[in-house]
Amino acid sequence: MQTKPKMKALFAGVITSAVLALPMTTVAQTYPTKPIRLIVAFPAGGSTDIIARLVGQRLGEKLGQQVIVDNRGGAGGTIGTEIAAKATPDGHTLTMGTTSTHVIAPAAYAKVNYDPVKDFEPITLVASTPYLLVLHPGVKANNLKEFVALAKSQPGKMNYASAGTGSTTQLAMEMLKGAAGVDIVHVPYNGNGPAGAATLGGQVQALFGSMPAVLPHAQAGRLRPIAVGTSRRSPALPNVPTVAESGYPGFEVSLWLGFFAPKGTPKPILTRLQKELTDIANNAEMKAQFEKNGASGVTNTPAEMNTLMKTELEKYGKVVKAAGISLK
Amino acid sequence: MEADIISNLALGFSTAVSPVNLFYCFIGVLVGTLIGVLPGIGPVAAVAMLLPLTFNLDAVGAIIMLSGIYYGTQYGGSTTAILVNLPGESASVVTCMDGYAMARQGRAGPALAIAAIGSFFAGTVGTILVALLGPPLAEIALKFGAPEYFSLMVMALIAAAVLAHGSMLKTICMIVLGLLVGIVGTDVNSGMSRFTFGASGLADGLSFVVVAMGLFGFAEILSNLQDKADTASRDILNQKITGLMPTVTDMKAAFGAIVRGTAIGAFFGTLPGGGPTISAFSAYAVEKKLAKDPSRFGKGAIEGVAAPESANNAAVQCAFITTLTLGIPHGATMALLLGALTIQGIAPGPQVMTQRPDLFWGLIASMWIGNAMLVILNLPLVGLWIKLLKVPYRFLFPAIMVFMAIGVYSVNNLDLDIYMTILFGILGYIFLKLKCEPAPLILAFVLGPLMEENLRRALLISRGDPTVFITRPISAAFLVATALLLTFMIIPSFRKKREEAVADSEAL
Repeated sequence: MQTKPKMKALFAGVITSAVLALPMTTVAQTYPTKPIRLIVAFPAGGSTDIIARLVGQRLGEKLGQQVIVDNRGGAGGTIGTEIAAKATPDGHTLTMGTTSTHVIAPAAYAKVNYDPVKDFEPITLVASTPYLLVLHPGVKANNLKEFVALAKSQPGKMNYASAGTGSTTQLAMEMLKGAAGVDIVHVPYNGNGPAGAATLGGQVQALFGSMPAVLPHAQAGRLRPIAVGTSRRSPALPNVPTVAESGYPGFEVSLWLGFFAPKGTPKPILTRLQKELTDIANNAEMKAQFEKNGASGVTNTPAEMNTLMKTELEKYGKVVKAAGISLK
Repeated sequence: MEADIISNLALGFSTAVSPVNLFYCFIGVLVGTLIGVLPGIGPVAAVAMLLPLTFNLDAVGAIIMLSGIYYGTQYGGSTTAILVNLPGESASVVTCMDGYAMARQGRAGPALAIAAIGSFFAGTVGTILVALLGPPLAEIALKFGAPEYFSLMVMALIAAAVLAHGSMLKTICMIVLGLLVGIVGTDVNSGMSRFTFGASGLADGLSFVVVAMGLFGFAEILSNLQDKADTASRDILNQKITGLMPTVTDMKAAFGAIVRGTAIGAFFGTLPGGGPTISAFSAYAVEKKLAKDPSRFGKGAIEGVAAPESANNAAVQCAFITTLTLGIPHGATMALLLGALTIQGIAPGPQVMTQRPDLFWGLIASMWIGNAMLVILNLPLVGLWIKLLKVPYRFLFPAIMVFMAIGVYSVNNLDLDIYMTILFGILGYIFLKLKCEPAPLILAFVLGPLMEENLRRALLISRGDPTVFITRPISAAFLVATALLLTFMIIPSFRKKREEAVADSEAL
């Protein structure tokens, strides 16, 4: 019964273009009319999926509609992200975008069927995960300076593991190699787990690993943490300096995770989502949940997200070019 | 040390035996079995689908229930392998060979029962191993670098040739074809796409479910449809169903196979990557080599079911070793279990054992309880599953096809996968007509990419020096074993035996 006058208002708004404010508020009031599909471009159980499910559940409670996580993994996250880019822009399809889907894939793949900036409406970041440079304990270096000196003394002799060609773990190390002017050979593995195992077993000497994957081993003393990639030290490892403070100012590598809607999603809906998601990510309980997963809660505005993407596309684009990475 | 283990296990059992956790374990095993018997829905899809159910449980309950689902689906997968030639995951491909042959002879009951009994035995041994030797075994697993993995895969592939009962040439062709099919997808080293024809759905390669459902399930249905004599043979099949339980002779024959299979599974299962699959194939190959009359294999030898099923389950148990002690998942299902832990706010890794002993030992205790529940649940169900075979084909086939399509789709949510399954189904039908066996193809398809990846990684780390494969002792040992295996195949007496076997199969 209640929807009837609203529908009338909606029609009136569409017909009389002069009255713009009316349909806008109406859309925001009725939204969401059905369950929301949250596309996660990675398989269930991975770190992106976990954050998406944590936030998605809370978002569903706030909006009064269920948020259904739809895992569309594959091809480095490009399959799911493309589906999200082409979805109906009515606020009922959202996606969890990350540094991988919205910066690295577009920079590293020869062809990606979406434009991270033009095809999406960024809403807000919710979390970010730091990267930690760890060494096998047998490596004779206790800090970043010694590690760089060691690598310089034997160019092309040392190896580092990554979670795969074109992964953030590779790009972080390539960025450091460029900044420090050292030659360490890249050995790609199939994911964070195998890369961690290879470093634990001493098959390779170093890994710029994702915090949740390597932190337990660093805490157990089985891997030696020498630097974090973020601009600030991690509360989990307060004694480990950042790469930036170890002699490479401006160095910053982290994996951010944020919400995106397809381009053309109505403004009032985006505003509503931005408010709710910011509340969720700033909630103390949620922040504690993030921290358990090795991430920390962060929020920003759509404009800031666009700037972030543009800066990072340029930054990682250079690394990709310098390292000669091209995924086809 | 022993006292520690006993007190630890006591803690574990006191955690797992709480009514709530027993309930979660039971629900997990039951739901897992029910989902597992749906063709095409393997452990990965089942655990992924049911993962959200556990979000509101406490950590111990969640992980116990998910493990239950895991064993349940695994066992359910063997059930479909035996009854309708549909392997739920790569390890049960081997079970198909003799299990389905037994079912066709009206001996599905003993096959299902021996699979359950073998799995339970292996599960018990596996649980004890995890409890006693978990951490030291994990250390050994870490010694496995790229060269070791490569040499291991070579050995497994050579052993695959032993699997076949037909022409050696055809077997080699199928292995090579499997390697080629395995190449499809993105190359880990260079990031280049191979044979994807621009389809992003192929970027991560073909999924095992697609290839196995096509080559086994779909092809089987196609060949049954063209078989005019089908109705007659089915009547015979129905009449011939005699005992539901294995006879004393069956048990005697299977006992050795179960013990050997368990040992093989426990060894390979500890190594991350390809554990259950290599175990099942190797256990089968070993039984065939030891058998007085190898020609029985592929035609319903009960050892051919007992060995791979035990090996598979032992490997599954031992896969928990590196997952729990190092936080390194074995495969997609283990990665999901780790994800479930992370959602509960527990960082998987070496500290779980000391920080959450209730969880670690509770899970180990629940492994055994879960395996026991599987037997209790499934032995009575054997009769019910057999009845499924009496469902007329005109109902059974469309139902299987629908479930297969759902199962295949559920893996990656890609419709392309369904079309690829049809393509492999047609291919499988052609192979059936040409008497080319799909099992070696599947093994090569699963191992090929791992083998290539590790070969290139080993050479990358050694800077192109191939001697690394013989200077590292574990790798050298595998290569020596491979050489011995090859010699056995080539020496005349063996060749003669093979020829007899070939003559046998052609006479049929």
